[in-house]
Amino acid sequence: MSASDKAGTGLDEPGDKKPKINLNRVEMPKQSPGERKHNFEEVATGYTVEMAMEEARRCIQCKKRNCQQGCPVNIDIPDFIRSLQQGDVESASRILKSKTSLPGICGRVCPQELQCEHACSLNKKGAPIAIGRLERFIADWERMEGAVSTPEIAPSTGKCVAVVGTGPSGLTVASDLAIRGHRVTMFEALHVAGGVLMYGIPEFRLPKEIVQREVQYVASLGVDIRLDTVIGINYSLDELLNTKYHAVYLATGAGLPQFLRVPGENLNMIYSANEFLTRTNLMKAYLYPEYATPVKMGKRVAVIGGGNVAMDSARCAVRLGARDVYIIYRRTRQEMPARFEEVENAEEEGIHFHFLCSPTGFISDGRNNVAAMELIRMQLGEPDASGRRRPVPIPGSEYVLDVDTVVVSLGTSPNPLLASTTPDLETSRRGTVIVGEGGRTSKARVWAGGDIVSGGATVISAMGEGRLAASSMHAFLSDSKR
Amino acid sequence: MKEVVRMFPITAHEHLAPKVHRMTVKAPVVAEKARPGQFVIVIVDEKGERVPFTISGWDTAAGTVEFVYIEVGKTTRQLAALKAGDELAHFVGPLGIAAQVDYFGHVVAVASGYGISALVPILRAYREMGNSITSILQAPDRERLFGREELEAVSDRLILAVGERGEEMATSATRPLRKLLGNHPREPLHRVVVMGSICLMRVISELTRPHAIKTVVHLTPLMVDGTGMCGACRLSIKGANRFACVHGPEFDGHEVDGWDVLMARRCTYADTSVHQQGFQCRGCSQW
Repeated sequence: MSASDKAGTGLDEPGDKKPKINLNRVEMPKQSPGERKHNFEEVATGYTVEMAMEEARRCIQCKKRNCQQGCPVNIDIPDFIRSLQQGDVESASRILKSKTSLPGICGRVCPQELQCEHACSLNKKGAPIAIGRLERFIADWERMEGAVSTPEIAPSTGKCVAVVGTGPSGLTVASDLAIRGHRVTMFEALHVAGGVLMYGIPEFRLPKEIVQREVQYVASLGVDIRLDTVIGINYSLDELLNTKYHAVYLATGAGLPQFLRVPGENLNMIYSANEFLTRTNLMKAYLYPEYATPVKMGKRVAVIGGGNVAMDSARCAVRLGARDVYIIYRRTRQEMPARFEEVENAEEEGIHFHFLCSPTGFISDGRNNVAAMELIRMQLGEPDASGRRRPVPIPGSEYVLDVDTVVVSLGTSPNPLLASTTPDLETSRRGTVIVGEGGRTSKARVWAGGDIVSGGATVISAMGEGRLAASSMHAFLSDSKR
Repeated sequence: MKEVVRMFPITAHEHLAPKVHRMTVKAPVVAEKARPGQFVIVIVDEKGERVPFTISGWDTAAGTVEFVYIEVGKTTRQLAALKAGDELAHFVGPLGIAAQVDYFGHVVAVASGYGISALVPILRAYREMGNSITSILQAPDRERLFGREELEAVSDRLILAVGERGEEMATSATRPLRKLLGNHPREPLHRVVVMGSICLMRVISELTRPHAIKTVVHLTPLMVDGTGMCGACRLSIKGANRFACVHGPEFDGHEVDGWDVLMARRCTYADTSVHQQGFQCRGCSQW
């Protein structure tokens, strides 16, 4: 477990009376690679009460709350850990949920190693407190106990808010504003709420039941969720603003898949990661034919890209029965945007990594199915705009890799549907919505956040932007109450 | 707890020909914005797949939308078993860009299968713009001929192209079209619109290409979400990737490149989801 295994010898200095701090975190049980390769059940099975208490006891309750500052939604981390230390999971849960409505999700998919855990004081000497695992434990405990606490909801303000998109950012805004007494309606184009949490992140990383529980929790705050409704088609943004809604939050995500633009890319069995994951996760193709949507896959699968979505696609392919799965990435391991933990999980599951190579074309089997891909080797040149060294093709280094399925995971850009039907909404060249402070867009009474603004980031950053936008929207709605 | 799941009741379900049905669904939000040439995504039940159907009519006042479908696979067979009063789990739309409607002059419409009904709203809109319409209705045999009256009602002239059993389907509509093209430009054709199988749309596009008569086709590649998210329906138009769900489904048939790839992609899942006895499509990858 790499970072978590940073064994230390103790902070105790000679003559110090304080109890010795354990610099090793409590490991979270995981399914073994050999086992988990054959199922879609969650890889990490979560802390038991005893494990959670033991881990919580490692926290030294610093005066300076670095961890809290490292959290994009400012969770009172030392406080919920103190409750855990005292064995009071219920109050830990209340503290947690005063800042997030999605603890079961955040505890699983946040990159804590870059945020709260990175800021943890223990991180200087040993393994930081496993804040994410504790958060997950509390959320799961509450779910198992069945005693879901809901915060006090402010008296109705009579103001109506529309939230477009039911992903992490939209859910955060909806719950924040519902708690403050506004009447919130969420619109979802798909047939289930949750956005990327449902269609993108696989079951084995984030069980869909947990997502639906947290969606239902947001609904229980009085939020109306309208599925099968596409804003930009069923209602234009102006129709929302001109009817009953005083303010609108746009959180439609970045759903448009990017392709390589090389010859043969439309051959059969070449998928975008979005299609491959949507079939597998949202439509539950791994349970075909009980669920009606199939996903067709061969035995040699190449996944192109180095992000978390690429890891998710590759690990789905393993579970769907691929014999060989390759990750094709044009830079090296160091530049990979995927979380270290996910890369490690992928490696354990037998996925082969091909670094410093890039596809230049796909070859047909003569019946318009992909049979092989042509690649060119790369070397790293000067740093580009992202600060990473730019990959440069090495002339004459082309080679062929036999594959029968390809998943293209090169990132996504915002779906232009909404912007194209709203001419006065200012967007960037990449199609992202341009916002100012608090997520305000160029259009009056319209805010935006999440991937439609960032172009593609993390669940928690989408929630963080939602939190700021909700405050800004609340200030606006309260002000115009006069 | 607020209502999270909404159901969509079926208000009418008619049998039009063997394996061909018309379903009318109560979906006021969809009916409100529907325009000719758009489609809906239907999910039968919570374990169902998302399947696109081009709409063949709608009634804004009654809040209903109708589409014609052919039983070819798992979901369409499931649909066929439903009765008026039953409910569909999900019904999303109207999706895609509406058909381009303008004054063109003399329009020749070629329709087969579901396209016979789905073309009707487009032809009606053409007619309202003052176009004169010649329709060619293709059916494999008399028994499977349907939609004659509704197509006749929106056409100035209707030509039947009913092949005999065993005859090659894809070419039968081409005979009357060849005749019309033979009289062009003496009796000019200003636009051709085709809705039917991909094979038919391809063949017609190739027939009109030498005459440079604008030919629009309504492409129906496989789709998953139908809102531009998955890219399953991507196709190549003049060398650029386009998604049928958000950039189409109407395209210029002469600008479609890679028909072979398009046909192969269409059949990717034919073996798992199409159980139609004797289903055969020559020249594509899966059959």
